[in-house]
Amino acid sequence: MSKNEPSVGNLSLESSMTTTTNSVSFGFFSDLKELYKYRDLVWAWGMRTIRARYKQSILGGLWAILQPVIAAIIFSVIFTFFVPVDTGDTPYIVFSYTAMVPWILFTSSTADMVDSLVANMGLVSKIYFPREVLPISALMARLLDFAIAMALLLILILVFQVPIFPLGLLFLPVILLVQIAFSLGLGLFGSALNVFYRDIRSLVGLILQIWLYVTPIIYPVTMVPERLQPFYFLNPMAGIIEAYRSVLLYQQLPGPYFALSSIVAIVTLFFGYWFFKRLEFQFADVV
Amino acid sequence: MTSSINVNSLSKRYRIGAGLTDLRDLFNIRENTRNAQYHWAVKDVNFDLQPGESLGIIGPNGAGKTTILKLLSRVTHPTSGELSVNGRFSALIELGAGFHGDLTGRENIYLNGTILGMQRSEIKARFDQIVDFSGIEQFLDTPVKRYSSGMYARLGFAIAVHVDPEVLLVDEVLAVGDYPFQLKCYARMDEMRRNGTTLIFVSHNMEAVRRVCDKGMVMYQGEDIFHGTAAEAVVAYSDAIRQNARRVQTDIPQDGGLSQMFMTFDAEIKNVSLLNEKGQPVTVLESGAPLNIAIDVLFHKNVQQPHLAITIRTPDGRVVYDTMTSWMNYLMPDFEAGEQYRIDCRLNTPLLDGLYEVDVDIVPNNLSHFYDRIERAAAFSITGTTWAKGLVDLDAKLEINPSLIKSDLGTTQS
Repeated sequence: MSKNEPSVGNLSLESSMTTTTNSVSFGFFSDLKELYKYRDLVWAWGMRTIRARYKQSILGGLWAILQPVIAAIIFSVIFTFFVPVDTGDTPYIVFSYTAMVPWILFTSSTADMVDSLVANMGLVSKIYFPREVLPISALMARLLDFAIAMALLLILILVFQVPIFPLGLLFLPVILLVQIAFSLGLGLFGSALNVFYRDIRSLVGLILQIWLYVTPIIYPVTMVPERLQPFYFLNPMAGIIEAYRSVLLYQQLPGPYFALSSIVAIVTLFFGYWFFKRLEFQFADVV
Repeated sequence: MTSSINVNSLSKRYRIGAGLTDLRDLFNIRENTRNAQYHWAVKDVNFDLQPGESLGIIGPNGAGKTTILKLLSRVTHPTSGELSVNGRFSALIELGAGFHGDLTGRENIYLNGTILGMQRSEIKARFDQIVDFSGIEQFLDTPVKRYSSGMYARLGFAIAVHVDPEVLLVDEVLAVGDYPFQLKCYARMDEMRRNGTTLIFVSHNMEAVRRVCDKGMVMYQGEDIFHGTAAEAVVAYSDAIRQNARRVQTDIPQDGGLSQMFMTFDAEIKNVSLLNEKGQPVTVLESGAPLNIAIDVLFHKNVQQPHLAITIRTPDGRVVYDTMTSWMNYLMPDFEAGEQYRIDCRLNTPLLDGLYEVDVDIVPNNLSHFYDRIERAAAFSITGTTWAKGLVDLDAKLEINPSLIKSDLGTTQS
């Protein structure tokens, strides 16, 4: 690249981006390559988040179980004694806990991701690294909680003698991946927006609260009127939660709605990543 | 040879005042000029560094020095212009970035190392070196929140320099840490430079810049107003500040006025002349001859017991002699506005052949800033000492005498 004479009229260049160098480049694959180079940071930052969360805490990892358990118990009391809900052969507590574990992964990780850039602004404004490391690590750190809560779920399933469906269990990682793709897409989108508008964080909290009621967590899908179901399943979390229940409780493979959820999840992920990368270069300037 | 760092009419504009108000602003970066106010933090800056070169960037606060480092390290993106950084870089803009207080030194080495772009395996391979350099091995498993700020900084610096960068960007970070550690840092930076690392060093510490860098650049209000050697840049910076002091009188900073070269011109150094014994101006002196540095000072305001400092250095910035009235236990009187005085400072010049420069400054007695300061106020050369090399004439005398025990050599050899 020829060296231009330093000119007074450099204002004409104003809207041009940094011209290419071997270190600054744009594009989807180079972005992914750069992220791969920082894979150890994703891990280290995730571990930092986990360690920081449980250092100087008495219950530590038990908190991962307490939250879904208590929620499940409260709903069990309400929907067994006060307003009985028919959950078929499955005891209500197992029914709701099965949904509560992935749901809490979804809400806690989404909230953490949305907050992740702003919470680490000191780092973002001082040091270069692919910024998506922060939301991705935030999500990873919540996966440990999920694993712990999941272990208790398996115990519950054994205790309540729910039949095991080995083929279905093989599907679990796929369902989890779809869920991760969906929440990562939302998290990338929300975290980038939150840098510019801090309302996003509160808004996300509110949306997640409402979202609980349009997802089959505390009630079965069968209670949703048949003709509304196609719209109901536009919410990808509905298909995902039902998929968890199918393979864990009903000895069935995930239904066709799960396929719809998967498509929505993947589209969300691509959109979220594109949006994030589009705004990334401004993050450090908007502290 | 390809440049290590090339910067071509680099500019960076920040929006000041209110942030984004409209969702559309987010994607319309170009058009929203109606109600936005902008500040050019860096404006049309150019420089080029070959591998192994080192550039010191100096300038007052807010001149855009740190912004240049942030642009080079890709933290922030230029508004216009081009830049290229070839090779792996490490930026010390903040020591210990990402350190978590609850994690131990060991855990934080891995964390900070990966933030700086190292793989876990690379950190593992350098772990002992890092610990060794930082000198904190006995606290390796202590949470860093219990570290002193010095230990914290030492660990941070140790990790950053072990990235083995081809380009090292250092912001004013060495101000922390004790003196021996600072020396260690400079030594390490020198060593890396000899091994071909390109260095950019941003500092308020003029001595450090002279010491570490060969090139110098002065930044002022976002623009690169001077390029030259590091020693020349320090002089140019001082001159620029002096020019500015004539024009504006802003508030004196609470502290750090000296390090930021803040000048108020309450007392102005009108003239500095070098005189011989007979009171005649001189530029060439015989080694050992008496020299009078005559300084004319005009007081614009009432000034109480100021201090006067004189530094004699070589053209490459090495200090030969540095003194100050307070160190001499010499108490200057009070001066009144409108008075002009000549201050004679008489000294001897037991120096070896070479060129010497004189810096003069006058400061208030609380040392909060400068009244005035002139670098390279005058220069003189010393001649007539062809018998030695170095700076100071230590007046070596030779004497040869017969040894007392004559047979020593002969008897012990057999």
